[in-house]
Amino acid sequence: MKGLNGGTVRAKEEEEQEEGMSAHSPCKKSPSSSSSLHKEQSQVEVELKLLEALEIYPLVKLRGIHRHFVLFGLTEYLQRSFNRPFSPSEVLQLLDRFYNLEMLQPDDEDNEILNQEEEFSLPPSFFAKDEP
Amino acid sequence: MRYFKKNAQQVSRWQRTRVTHQNGTESQNLTIKTPPFVSFVFVSDILNLEHKINNYFVQQGVRKESPMEMGRSSTGVSGDSVADGVDLMACDERLYVQGEKVWASHKGEWYPAKVQKVESRMEAFTYFVHYLGWKKRWDEWLDTKKLMKFTEADVQKQLAQSDRPAVVKNIKPGQKNKTKISAAARGKKGKGGSNFKENCLITEENMLNIEIPPTLKKQLLDDCEFVTHLGKLVKLPRTPTVDDILKKYFVARVRKNDESKEAIQEILSGLRCYFDKALPAMLLYKSERKQYEEVTAEDIPPSTVYGAEHLLRLFVKLPEILYDAKIEEETLMKLQPKILDLLKFLQKNQSTYFLSTYQSPEELDPEMQE
Repeated sequence: MKGLNGGTVRAKEEEEQEEGMSAHSPCKKSPSSSSSLHKEQSQVEVELKLLEALEIYPLVKLRGIHRHFVLFGLTEYLQRSFNRPFSPSEVLQLLDRFYNLEMLQPDDEDNEILNQEEEFSLPPSFFAKDEP
Repeated sequence: MRYFKKNAQQVSRWQRTRVTHQNGTESQNLTIKTPPFVSFVFVSDILNLEHKINNYFVQQGVRKESPMEMGRSSTGVSGDSVADGVDLMACDERLYVQGEKVWASHKGEWYPAKVQKVESRMEAFTYFVHYLGWKKRWDEWLDTKKLMKFTEADVQKQLAQSDRPAVVKNIKPGQKNKTKISAAARGKKGKGGSNFKENCLITEENMLNIEIPPTLKKQLLDDCEFVTHLGKLVKLPRTPTVDDILKKYFVARVRKNDESKEAIQEILSGLRCYFDKALPAMLLYKSERKQYEEVTAEDIPPSTVYGAEHLLRLFVKLPEILYDAKIEEETLMKLQPKILDLLKFLQKNQSTYFLSTYQSPEELDPEMQE
């Protein structure tokens, strides 16, 4: 898989398929094959949802100035989708299965507000007199 | 020849525009200093300047059929080939320039906006503005009366001087107006043809809604007063620093097995990240720049030097900063109470975290020179 902005990305999918067991399954290997298949499916569901989330929160934003809030957004997205708690580190772990985040170049857009210098000012509402 | 006009100082940015002949060929070495929105200058314009000066900007403005890019400034050449010709200055009361950030009044409400185009009509200037955070279809032409300079110093003066109503019902896109909240608007996801005014409670494009508590608002006003009117500065470095405060909040707020512990940590890290970048970009008053240069030499992060006074300013700008992150509305709504909680923590500790007085630069100077 090629990453964005020229960064290269390592796919770890093949590795995972060989193992046949997700990182999130309990230690005990289930005796019935259908049960482990079920676990694989939900893992796949999570991964799919994550990829869906990446359409809203592009990977490259995970390297820029907004990375913490973007990660928070991804976490919230998954939490909402599966109605169970997710943690940011869990999300990063999931991402790590597909992408090598360190290789991504941050995309510091020119038109971003933080790249321009302007004097601080309070909005007019701060100076409004109280309504009678 | 020099033409001095009374309002020359109101043009904030100048450029060099190449002079062209009517047939389109550019003259070799002649450029003229003009305001930025001028696309090109004809030789004939210069020759007849004395007569044309009042019509000058009527002719220029934005010409759609021009061979050059519309509205773009054709900047001059490098130093050595510039001949200092005529310096043209604004011939009329043109207060705002293309690209300038302003406050714009739409149906009596003030919004942050950006001037996209300037034109001269009937001896007065009119400005095409884009409301920041709103879709392009709200862009409109406004007169000078409907605009205000964006920097604070001007805002106060303008409000005092003009015969505008004293109450400025500011509703920055996204801010709640206590008296009217439309449930429909709150749930909306950015579609919808409802009119601008009704929707001014929630912006069409997602912006975080932060209600700063009244005592902290007063703190910001005092802060403004100290720095911009009394010419004072915050004594640096501060204790506690922004970094300290965020850490204190985390310790106070999060219990050991709190599920959302990591999420809160992520938000706090995000705020620290924003603070370090935003401080020099948009959290300083002009008079604080020099001090900033001095204390942050050698790449010292602002969050380890500045304190609550400047952290509070971040919250004023946070909706705009976050807007660039393009966070979903649902997530923003989750984020809002967490930010508010942090503000309440600041409010609770207001007397210990905030300075009650600032220093004059002379008082600070001898210490800084050590």
